[in-house]
Amino acid sequence: MRPRSAIRSLFATPATEPAPKPDEADSDGRFRGSLQLRHVDAGSCNGCELEITSAFAPTYDAGRYGARLVASPRHADGLLVTGVVTRNMDGPLRKTLDAVPEPRVVVACGDCAVSGGAFADGYGVASRLSDVIAADVEIPGCPPHPAAITEALRGLTGR
Amino acid sequence: MTLLLLGLALGALAAAAAALPVHLRVPVSCLLVAGACVLAFLGAVAELRSGHVSTAHTAALLPMNGIELRLDPLAALFIATTAFVGFAAAIYSIGYAHGPLRSRTAVVSFALFVTSLLCVPAASSVATLLFAWEMMAVTSLLLLLAEHRRRAQALDAARWYGAMTQAGAAAILLGLLLLAAHSGGQDFTAIRAHAPSISIPIRSIAFVLVLLGFASKAGAVPLHVWLPRAHPEAPSPVSALMSGAMVSLGIYGIIRVGGDLLDGGVLWWWLVVLALGVVSALYGALHATASSDLKRLLAYSTIDSMGLVLIGVGAAGALRTTGHPHAATLSMVAALFFVVAHASFKGCLFLAAGAAERATGTRDLDRLGGLARPMAATTVLFCVAALAVIALPPFSGFAGEWLLLQGLLHGFSDTSTATVIALLVGVVALALAAGLTAVAFVKALGIGFLGRPRTQGAAEAREVAPTMRLAMGILALPCLLLGLVPGLVIPMVARAANAGFALPSASPVVPGAGLDLSGFNGAIEPALLAIAIVAGLGAIWMTLRVVANRATRRAEAWGSGREVQTARMQYTATAFGEPLQRVFTDVLRPDNDLEVTHAAESRFYTQAVTYSNRVDDAVERSLYRPVISALAWWGTVARRAQNGSVHRYLAFSFVALVIVLVVLA
Repeated sequence: MRPRSAIRSLFATPATEPAPKPDEADSDGRFRGSLQLRHVDAGSCNGCELEITSAFAPTYDAGRYGARLVASPRHADGLLVTGVVTRNMDGPLRKTLDAVPEPRVVVACGDCAVSGGAFADGYGVASRLSDVIAADVEIPGCPPHPAAITEALRGLTGR
Repeated sequence: MTLLLLGLALGALAAAAAALPVHLRVPVSCLLVAGACVLAFLGAVAELRSGHVSTAHTAALLPMNGIELRLDPLAALFIATTAFVGFAAAIYSIGYAHGPLRSRTAVVSFALFVTSLLCVPAASSVATLLFAWEMMAVTSLLLLLAEHRRRAQALDAARWYGAMTQAGAAAILLGLLLLAAHSGGQDFTAIRAHAPSISIPIRSIAFVLVLLGFASKAGAVPLHVWLPRAHPEAPSPVSALMSGAMVSLGIYGIIRVGGDLLDGGVLWWWLVVLALGVVSALYGALHATASSDLKRLLAYSTIDSMGLVLIGVGAAGALRTTGHPHAATLSMVAALFFVVAHASFKGCLFLAAGAAERATGTRDLDRLGGLARPMAATTVLFCVAALAVIALPPFSGFAGEWLLLQGLLHGFSDTSTATVIALLVGVVALALAAGLTAVAFVKALGIGFLGRPRTQGAAEAREVAPTMRLAMGILALPCLLLGLVPGLVIPMVARAANAGFALPSASPVVPGAGLDLSGFNGAIEPALLAIAIVAGLGAIWMTLRVVANRATRRAEAWGSGREVQTARMQYTATAFGEPLQRVFTDVLRPDNDLEVTHAAESRFYTQAVTYSNRVDDAVERSLYRPVISALAWWGTVARRAQNGSVHRYLAFSFVALVIVLVVLA
């Protein structure tokens, strides 16, 4: 991008894309402006994790739209789930879900979480995420692009 | 005075009740002790309200000069406080005493212990004081040993207590005899009359000796080592009496000798007292945050509280010798008010700790928890007393610490640099100690009583006997009452302060329900403050009811999603105190040990990891242990001379005789 002159940048609008329409899952705008998510790796290949990291890193910086990753489900408005639900993570996922106060939102990130993906019939897979809980927002892709993750989150925060 | 004498007689009768059969012995004796305390309390309060001074003398009871008693407002204040704690402890004992505590020895010791505690402040001659003092020491030592068959640590605690208390008594004896020798009489009137004519060095030596003895009784650092051992090992009513009454008699001794008999003395005496107070307050509060034994925590908290009182007494003495009697009275009133408040809240805390120990079989905070539901009364009373000790309004500790701070801050007008610096250090110590105490008691209540039971013993806890709950309630009442209406006792405390320090008779606090300083700029109305707090909390509650009107969903405690969660995984007392322990490593000097056992097959596999963390008393380790090991070494060396043979002993006598003859000839 060609650098803009100082005078023009004074009057320019922000260099971000306009906010997407509020997501249907959040039509009453409960999480508008601020969304705290607890990330749960329910048995991912870590591809999605890389992209999530990237989505919150300076290039895409989902944080500036009000989304944030937190350390405890007790601090969270919802879960960001990646991966198929493996046997070892089945119980912890349910416990974590139970620990998030209501109203809450569940975001399924990546094909595995959305539909089972490449590992759907693996021997260590206990269930699909949809068997545990219906996701409010789905981000398809294997792995999803950081821009897609950011956009989905913006759909919730409305910024 | 008559009531006090009747009370003492009733106390002696209570000791005689030990002759009754075993099931009658405890209730009858305890009720008689409680009666004795009521009589002494009424007598002392009547004396405090009128401000009279009465005396009694009997030549028949004790050899040499008999017993001399004198009841002035200072003595009356301490007797009233002691009697109050003694009454509650006696009621508590009815439900608490079983096993070895029902033996004749224990019953006699308990009755005589309370009686001697009531007698000490009234003593008005060196012989009477030391007689009562020694009786107090010996009977409390016997009570400490009552349960030694069950707990091996009791023996060790008794050894420390015995050594420290006897050394202290010897120092007091030496100091008082020095004064008696220079004033031609051993009763206090003679000493008081002659004190101004005794030279300053002699007076100073006597004061330092007496201070050593009384400060060790008051648990001042570095003479405190017996306290964190003896308080936890003693039966709980005795711990309550030790902490609420006996320890404050050390303060009484310092005021009586330094302020009353020696008439104020010199500035440096009081700066030393203040310094002792500062060190004790900080050291006690720090160790309280690091302790995970409930009664040990309370014992260190006692050291902390007595430190605050010593700061007040030291400030009062310093201000008086530098010619600021009105500010001195304020500090003295603050110190004595704190003594009164401390007796009730610390007594209540020790009784509640005893109840928890009786119900669960342990004092270790890391093994308690979950007592709030089965022992609701005990938990609430512990909470009330804990709120008083961490000085939150509207509880008694708040009024005490507010007065102390006012006393210290209003002393700044003083021109002497040393005094101003000392007062400033006192203010800082008071603030830091208050914060640390809050940490310690949040830990004691939150870990020890709330949460879920950590062990089988804690899970099976049942509420204790009604008499025990009643006794805790009696002691918890002043925590709230003195906090809400401190004006109830302030005039009496002021009279005692004036009597003890020969200060101007005007009270530094305007009579009334609250605290309104006269002559200084400072006033607070705890009752109004309480109304504001209650109204504020009510408003928050109402708002939450209206705004957050949603259905509650109960979920499992969050444990990082782990599959198996037990109550042992809760926050522990050790973990709660760990950050502070890390900050103050240089003072606390904890022993941390990490031991990793490897599997036999390979060093890369770990079989077990053991972590241990101990916080021993650093003063004891660096100051007392070398002395003890030197004595032990001397003991083994001296033992070589003793081989048990009669011939050798005869040879010793012969050599000694020869030497004596040679020297004399």
